[in-house]
Amino acid sequence: MDPDAVAKAFVEHYYRTFDSNRAGLANLYQEGSMLTFEGAKTQGAQAIAAKISSLPFQQCIHNISTVDCQPSGPAGGMLVFVSGSLQLAGEQHALKFSQMFHLMPTPQGSFYVLNDIFRLNYA
Amino acid sequence: MNPDTLAMAFVGLYYETFDKSRADLGSLYRQGSMLTFEGVKKKGVEAIVAKLTSLPFQQCQHNVSTIDCQPSGAGGILVFVSGSLQLPGEQYPLKFSEMFHLLGIPQGSFYVLNDIFRLNYA
Repeated sequence: MDPDAVAKAFVEHYYRTFDSNRAGLANLYQEGSMLTFEGAKTQGAQAIAAKISSLPFQQCIHNISTVDCQPSGPAGGMLVFVSGSLQLAGEQHALKFSQMFHLMPTPQGSFYVLNDIFRLNYA
Repeated sequence: MNPDTLAMAFVGLYYETFDKSRADLGSLYRQGSMLTFEGVKKKGVEAIVAKLTSLPFQQCQHNVSTIDCQPSGAGGILVFVSGSLQLPGEQYPLKFSEMFHLLGIPQGSFYVLNDIFRLNYA
């Protein structure tokens, strides 16, 4: 499958899950996965899911502006670089963000997130 | 060496080279390196250096706001940078985000395998 298409499909799945069923994100991470969210580091699927579920907002909508991807090396990994905006319920203005994912293949032919780094882009 | 320290040192070197001596960036890439600059894809040292030295500004200054890093598996390091780019004559700097995937070389240094750059528009 075309890498750009894979990246786009993953990004859509990721943010749809985040916005509608945040606890479901745990399936996309594994034990060795790492998340750095606004500078706070977390490791492992459970801790990462807990971090994301405990963010101080109930509802949100991610709107994606750009998706770039590149193969990360011989192990079949893929780097995905996303920019977009995050609309929180009750907030007048959306927050801008950038996020990078390092996806690694699973034996079942899917991908999991090994590395995840998120930053808000302040004006 | 501590990955965070390494990431900070690399970022400092990269943008200092970019801002003072852009053609010398070639030493930080290898044949298999990839750059995606505002959606434009380039591969290999020559094509990447040609792209960076042909950007439509002679001088610039990168000011880094945040640096995050994580090990990428197999000895690599992922570095995620945000900051601003001041071009001469422009009243306001441009905001940008950039990610690097660094791999180690035998001399104990690193090269850039993957490089993705995006401006962050308001």
